[in-house]
Amino acid sequence: MKPKIEILEESDFKIRFILKNVSPALANSFRRAMKAEVPTLAVDYVDFYVNSSYLYDEILAHRLGMLPIKTDLEKFNMQNECVCGGEGCPNCQISFRLNVEGPKVVYSEDFISDDPEIVFAIDNIPVLELFEGQQLMLEAVARLGTGREHAKFQPVSVCAYKIIPEIEITEDCTLCKDCIEACPRDVLEAGGDKIAVKDVLNCSLCMECIKVCEQNAIKVNETNNFLFTVEATGALPLRVVMRKALEILRSKAEEMNKIIEEIQ
Amino acid sequence: MDVPREESASDFPIRCFSCGSVIGHLYEEYQKKLKEGKSSKEALDELGIERYCCRRMFITHKSVLKELSRFHGAVG
Repeated sequence: MKPKIEILEESDFKIRFILKNVSPALANSFRRAMKAEVPTLAVDYVDFYVNSSYLYDEILAHRLGMLPIKTDLEKFNMQNECVCGGEGCPNCQISFRLNVEGPKVVYSEDFISDDPEIVFAIDNIPVLELFEGQQLMLEAVARLGTGREHAKFQPVSVCAYKIIPEIEITEDCTLCKDCIEACPRDVLEAGGDKIAVKDVLNCSLCMECIKVCEQNAIKVNETNNFLFTVEATGALPLRVVMRKALEILRSKAEEMNKIIEEIQ
Repeated sequence: MDVPREESASDFPIRCFSCGSVIGHLYEEYQKKLKEGKSSKEALDELGIERYCCRRMFITHKSVLKELSRFHGAVG
C-alpha cells in the first residue's frame, strides 16, 4: 500500500494530519527532517554600535536570534554552498538595522530590513524597553541555517507523532464496562449491546483497558498509521515545511542509493 | 490567589523555554485580560496557550527590567 497523508485540521500555525501506511522509521525520519533539516533564516550575528540600555549585548543578541523571520527559500543560499564561499553576500544573508532612543518599547516591527519582503514574521513582539536617555544602534545579520545547528533555525516548534492503534473487542466481552471506567482518554463507550470505540485518535496506548479486562476480550494493536501534530513558528508556511522535508528526505535517499551502488 | 500584577512585557521571553513556541507577542494581551478581571486560566485558554510549558512562562514572569528601572537616573 502506498503512503498517504490525510489532513484533519489546518490553520496558519498548526496542522494535524494522519500519515498512513508507512513504517515507524519513515514516520520518524519525516518528523526529524521537518525539525532539523528544513532551513530557515534567523539572526546569527549582531554588530552593536551603541547600547546604553539595561540589557547586555549578549542578551539582546540572543533575543534577536529567537525572532522568527519570514523566509523565502528561493532567494537565499545556505552560506557554505553560496557563490561567495561563506563570506556573506546578498545571496546568503540579510541585515536588519535599528537606531532608536528612549523612552520607548522596541518591537520587532521597528527593525528596518534590507529587503521589504523579508521581515520578522510576527511584528508585535516586544524586544526590550529603553528608558529616558538610553540609545540603541545595531545591525543584526540573519542567515540560513538548520535546526540541527541551533534550535532558532527550526521552522516548527512542536512536531510530534503517535501511533494510531486498532482496538479490537472479541466475543468474550461480558459488558462489565470496566474498560470504559479505566480509560483515562475517554476512548471507549457503551454502544447498545457491545463496547464501541468512540475516539481512536485520542488513545495513548496506555493499555489500562487490557489490564482491567478479566476476560481478555480487548486488544490494542499498533498499526502503520501515525497522527502528526505540527506547529509553525511563522518562518515558513506549514505546507512548505512538509514539502521541503520530503524533498530533503528524497535527496538523502538517492544519495544513499548512489553510495550503495558504488560499493557493489 | 490570582492577583493581577503590573509587569513589563518588554523583557518577557520571546519563545517558550521548553517547546520553542513563539509567545512574546501574547504577554501584553494576557495582561489586558487579567486587568479585565479574568483569571490566569481563562486568559491563557482564550489566547490558545495549551501546553503547561508555555502556560508557566506567563504565570511566573517577573520583569527584571522593571525592577532596574526604579533606579533609573540614580546612578550614572
